[in-house]
Amino acid sequence: MTCEELLRYLSDYIDHNLDEALTAAAQEHLSTCHNCRVMLDTTQQTIFLFREQGKRTIPAARRQRLFDQLQDAFLQTKADC
Amino acid sequence: MYTEQELIAALRRRDPDAFTFLFDSYSDKVYRLAAGLLEDDMAAEGVVQESFIRLFERLDQFEGRSKLSTWLYRVAYNAAIDRLRKRRPTLSLDIGDDEEMPTPIILADWRDVPERLLTKAEVRAELDKAIAALPEKYRGIFILREIEGVSTQETAVITGLSISAAKVRLHRARLFLRERLSESLMQYV
Repeated sequence: MTCEELLRYLSDYIDHNLDEALTAAAQEHLSTCHNCRVMLDTTQQTIFLFREQGKRTIPAARRQRLFDQLQDAFLQTKADC
Repeated sequence: MYTEQELIAALRRRDPDAFTFLFDSYSDKVYRLAAGLLEDDMAAEGVVQESFIRLFERLDQFEGRSKLSTWLYRVAYNAAIDRLRKRRPTLSLDIGDDEEMPTPIILADWRDVPERLLTKAEVRAELDKAIAALPEKYRGIFILREIEGVSTQETAVITGLSISAAKVRLHRARLFLRERLSESLMQYV
């Protein structure tokens, strides 16, 4: 496998979507190519950081107001309008 | 706790506990998608309101062919894109045939930088900057797949793309964000 091919298959490799032959070829390439190894590791770390810290929530100060407004709408809205 | 069918039935009866469950389960999910797309907290809250009210109005027609979360994400995604289009009428979500794969430029291993050299707030700020720079055509897909943990199939339904198009966009989003974070995090070294 070449570096270009590895780059093309990188997400499928990370998501375990490659067949056995391509997985083996990717692993062989990664064992000898430092740049592609860094590419894989830093892409996985990028995904990890977003999964870990990307979960923002509605700011607490406005959450209750939004809840109240939507609850009023819920109780007043007749279904099938 | 409700099953989805029980929840829909209770919402149709206008059961207040069902509303509380719905709000607690889905408001932050819808908010994150809208806030990520719009980069505007108030506008994102508007999308949450719009999506929930649409659901209240359509409860009797909700057939359960898609999951409630998929339905709400789809309404919210379309509402957010509408707002983006009003803001910027030239917005395009298409990928050109000749558009090339992002090329990796920075190949330094920064994996330990966030934990070793940055506070949590600094990492958060770098993630926010990176995702704000990600073109909208990739942003919704990345948020749905990586932050919300939605399957590729559901992401495709929500965004109206084919599964293969959703996969291509996710791949490009990952490469784009990796490059951006590489650029910004290497400054701390």
